[in-house]
Amino acid sequence: LDFSRCASHMLTKKPPVLQSFLSLVSRRASHLARQQYDVIVVGGGHAGTEAAAAAARVGAETLLVTQKTNTIGALSCNPSLGGVGKGHLVKEVDALDGLCGRAGDWAGIHFSILNRSKGPAVWGPRAQLDRQRYREFIQSELLSTPRLTVLEGSVEELLVTEPNPEEPGHHRVTGIHLANGSHPILASSVILTTGTFLSGSLFVGQTTSPGGRIGDAPSSAGLSHTLRERLGLRIGRLRTGTPPRIVKDTVDLSLTNLHPPDSHPTPFSFLNTHTRCKPEEQLPCYLTHTTPGVDRVVRESLHLNCHIQQDTKGPRYCPSIESRVLRFPGRRHQVWLEPEGLNSDLLYPQGLSMTMPPDVQLRLIREIPALHRAEIHTPGYGVQYDFVCPTQLSPALQVKSTQGLFLAGQINGTTGYEEAAAQGLWAGVNAARSALSMPPVALSRTESYIGVLIDDLVSRGVTEPYRMFTSRAEFRTSLRPDNADLRLTLKGRCVSSLRYQEAVRVRDGLQDALAALQTLTLSTHLWRKKLPDIGISESKSTILTGMDLLQYNNVSFEMLASVFPECLSPYMEFSQRLNIEAVYRPHCDLQKKEIERIQKEENMTLPQDIDYFSLPVSLSQEVREILDRVRPSTLGAATRLQGMTPAAVVNLLRYVQHTGQRGRRTHRNQPDQKEEREEELCARNASLPQ
Amino acid sequence: MLPFTCRGIWRAAVHTLRTSRGMPPCRLLSTCDGVPPGLADAETIFALSSGHGRCGVAVIRVSGPASATALRCMAGLTRSLPPPRTALLRSITDSQAKEVLDRGLVLWFPAPHSFTGEDSVEFHIHGGPAVVTAVLQALGSVPGMRPAEAGEFTRRAFQAGKLGLTEVEGLGDLIHAETEAQRRQALRQMSGELGRLYQDWSHRLKRCLAHVEAFIDFSEDELIEDGVLNQVDRSVCTLQAEMVRHLKDERRGERLRSGVQVVIAGATNAGKSSLLNTLCQRPAAIVSPIAGTTRDVVETALDIGGFPVLLSDTAGLRDSLDLVEREGVRRARERVEQADLTLVVVDCAYLPTDVQQAAAFLQGHLKSVLQTQEQPETALPADRYLLVLNKTDLVPEDQRQKLDRELRQVSGLPPVCLISCHTNEGLQDFLTVLHSNVKTLCGDPLSGAPTLTQARHRAHLQQCVAALAQYQRYRDADLALAAEGVRLALTSLGRITGRVGAEEILDIIFKDFCIGK
Repeated sequence: LDFSRCASHMLTKKPPVLQSFLSLVSRRASHLARQQYDVIVVGGGHAGTEAAAAAARVGAETLLVTQKTNTIGALSCNPSLGGVGKGHLVKEVDALDGLCGRAGDWAGIHFSILNRSKGPAVWGPRAQLDRQRYREFIQSELLSTPRLTVLEGSVEELLVTEPNPEEPGHHRVTGIHLANGSHPILASSVILTTGTFLSGSLFVGQTTSPGGRIGDAPSSAGLSHTLRERLGLRIGRLRTGTPPRIVKDTVDLSLTNLHPPDSHPTPFSFLNTHTRCKPEEQLPCYLTHTTPGVDRVVRESLHLNCHIQQDTKGPRYCPSIESRVLRFPGRRHQVWLEPEGLNSDLLYPQGLSMTMPPDVQLRLIREIPALHRAEIHTPGYGVQYDFVCPTQLSPALQVKSTQGLFLAGQINGTTGYEEAAAQGLWAGVNAARSALSMPPVALSRTESYIGVLIDDLVSRGVTEPYRMFTSRAEFRTSLRPDNADLRLTLKGRCVSSLRYQEAVRVRDGLQDALAALQTLTLSTHLWRKKLPDIGISESKSTILTGMDLLQYNNVSFEMLASVFPECLSPYMEFSQRLNIEAVYRPHCDLQKKEIERIQKEENMTLPQDIDYFSLPVSLSQEVREILDRVRPSTLGAATRLQGMTPAAVVNLLRYVQHTGQRGRRTHRNQPDQKEEREEELCARNASLPQ
Repeated sequence: MLPFTCRGIWRAAVHTLRTSRGMPPCRLLSTCDGVPPGLADAETIFALSSGHGRCGVAVIRVSGPASATALRCMAGLTRSLPPPRTALLRSITDSQAKEVLDRGLVLWFPAPHSFTGEDSVEFHIHGGPAVVTAVLQALGSVPGMRPAEAGEFTRRAFQAGKLGLTEVEGLGDLIHAETEAQRRQALRQMSGELGRLYQDWSHRLKRCLAHVEAFIDFSEDELIEDGVLNQVDRSVCTLQAEMVRHLKDERRGERLRSGVQVVIAGATNAGKSSLLNTLCQRPAAIVSPIAGTTRDVVETALDIGGFPVLLSDTAGLRDSLDLVEREGVRRARERVEQADLTLVVVDCAYLPTDVQQAAAFLQGHLKSVLQTQEQPETALPADRYLLVLNKTDLVPEDQRQKLDRELRQVSGLPPVCLISCHTNEGLQDFLTVLHSNVKTLCGDPLSGAPTLTQARHRAHLQQCVAALAQYQRYRDADLALAAEGVRLALTSLGRITGRVGAEEILDIIFKDFCIGK
């Protein structure tokens, strides 16, 4: 398949016909074609849409239930995608054939690569989005996804079996019951992606009302009750907030600093060579700053501000303007004014999240010179919501005590679209696999940011909304945005054959190019002759390869290709990736050992039903308590627990090896079965209409 | 979880052992100089395998892919390696300083016919501490070599299938014991000036990393001034210079105390100083009938049955309002925490006459003497303590005999010795018990041998310096790779001062910067 053809396929696809979509999805339970699915996804946000699409891609008959179909794919907060760390997640979701990367390319109206000057491992692809276009794309994708049905409705209850008498406290999910639905809808897997709607409350000034997003009905209390009371899950509470939206015409933009986008937009998706928005059509962002007046208004209105007075854990990052002022008094804070869409007349003031009464909000923003006459379209507000402590989940994002119940997104204590999408995708893959009787799959923190995210969540839990940073990834130099496809697409668990083949083509092309560079050997003397402008520091007699040369700051693949067109010009499309690869490869090689070690530990699974208190292994009471509380899924996770001693890990290793050997003897045929399933999976994928 | 991969002790436990032998690690490093050795592919380990103390021959073991390189460098074998498993007499040289260190036997065990299943080498050299230290340091400077972690040889053997599961039953306990020995040793050094120096470096390095990470993760959206990085540049430069100077300093800042650390502890006026004087046969410490006579730690070096012992007398443990005495008690507790062996001295006259009650009294007493804040209520390993019941001349003979007979049968008590420092009664028996304890401790090459930890510290510091050079090399070209250098440096230093997790770095970031977006 030709790369440019894939790209044009993506971008020339008819813009979605929203009307027909809405009429199609506005089904009622009584009209459903079936009462039983493999996978039911509850929620239509970033986690829910990725989950539903991924489950369907894996081959599961999937139902997406959401309160309001026209808010599927809505950007509840900031109109942007990606950034440093978050952009890494978008690239990885795309590499696994998720939606958000392509949706970003479709809806983006301002593209830029953050950290451009700081090294490709930490480049942060980012885009401002047109809210309307983003929603359209997501909705149209879901509509055209085979095996996926969308249903408008409110989930009244989660159906679970009585606890298994042989394994006390263990349940199995069987389906859901809709409010005003006459029959239950059955499924082997259910994914909850309730976002801020799980017992959500909205805060503006001193008023509080139930709900997860302004303008939308609150969700039923049934779900929360089932999770808490029937399944006995530990639930915590977090808070977040959103800024007021400002009428663009009322802003004095001449008092701001203009921030133009990149002149050549870089698409998120590995399948796209260009974005829908033409370079010249892109819109700028504007930067302005808070003033001492803003501090004053915050302080004067504290008594009118319920949200900020309550002590529910808020994040140290993305805090409201109130907590910024209180935590770092007397400082000037940045405020970004971001476009909400190509034709939108609103601006989104990033950094001005606030929960004071609307009249005070107006007073506050008018303390900023550029906003001195600004009008507020919708006031900002705060949200508090329940989350399930994620240490109760397996690395497949399944609730450990409830077979078939998966959780993704803010319900697991994360913040951000990208974090939600990443979990949704992985929960979708595993929910589908579970429903189709395939073994769960895990992504290692050594191979992806998604793996880092999930491992951090399930093995350490959260105390504040979890956001991705590149500093969380210990193998940052290996986990780059540029190589997400090579790291993940080829695993082939949930990707279309089109994407798979494209990744194979890229991998082979890169390998050939690197081999060509490696065989290109000349003495330093000859290199100096060929490329007189670069200062080669090695002594004169050394032989250098093309790879060695590429490690020089001022040498690019393009330069080498111009000198050796016959052997290098076939690989021009990979030139940027080759430039990066040449510099990073020696560092990545050094990390390989450590990566192998961690992967080996991660492959040693600890059974979930171990009774650590009676385990016939020499462990201290303290270690037994830690293990019993956290129930790590693998030896790797156990090793990272605080309070584990080396001796305890060795004793656990002995136990794992011992039981592992016994296990192999009894299930000798398992690997073959697994391979068959993989083949079957590929076959299903191959039959997907592209 | 984070970037700092110092999972120390456990590291090698699950390593693939059949390492690739195509490329010696020094080649690999040359493709990317500035990356610290030892964090690389390397994984070749060395350690003193014989016990210390007075011994004619010391055995140093090396295991891993670079063993052959080490043998060539150290034994001056340019071409062929010696025949497998055959002793060869060679001059052992420091290949960098071109200096002959000793003459000794070298043995070459190519994989898989070795204890660990890997390429291995043994150096049999003269047993003096100076020679052993020199050879260990020379080995540490061979590219790709690092000092072994506790129990690492045994673990490698286990992983290579050289030990059966039954043979390795005791592995957990062994590692526990070795870790304990290392922990005590580290504590000894970390409580001194050297420790403060390392902690200070670690603290500064953490801030450097936090600031670089903040610049990477947040500077596009937040007000993080470029000045932050310039400050990091200066700090890295200073740190590097300080470490290099420290590595060059032959005096190493502080004389490390060598020998098995034996500490005398107990209540006031139990006769601790008398015991010290009796043992070293001279009045090293002032004795008086006044409680609280000894206020500071009195140290003396002893030779017990040929083994080096550093004996410390400490202040009697009691709650006191006197500031000087309180400091003495704090120091006493610190010493007990760091000791290889503690002699708990009890005045016989305070013992209840009933033996059951006496046993309970002693157990309670032991707990109060040995309990530390760090390890409250943990089970006391019996082999680290001796109970010395002093002043037997003050109790009637039949009571003494009854105690002697019956206390031995009480379970849960460490060995009990009844002596009188006044009449020297029971002293001979006590010395026999002490001797056998010290001998056991000396058989473990980890206890009381500062040269080993010193070699380890040097290796980690050298890695740290090399990693900081990576920061400087990539500072302008690629900040991600430069940050990797600081991460590696902190990992190396963390092997001395304790591991640093990502959360700790994030804590510094959010304390120092207002991250709003």
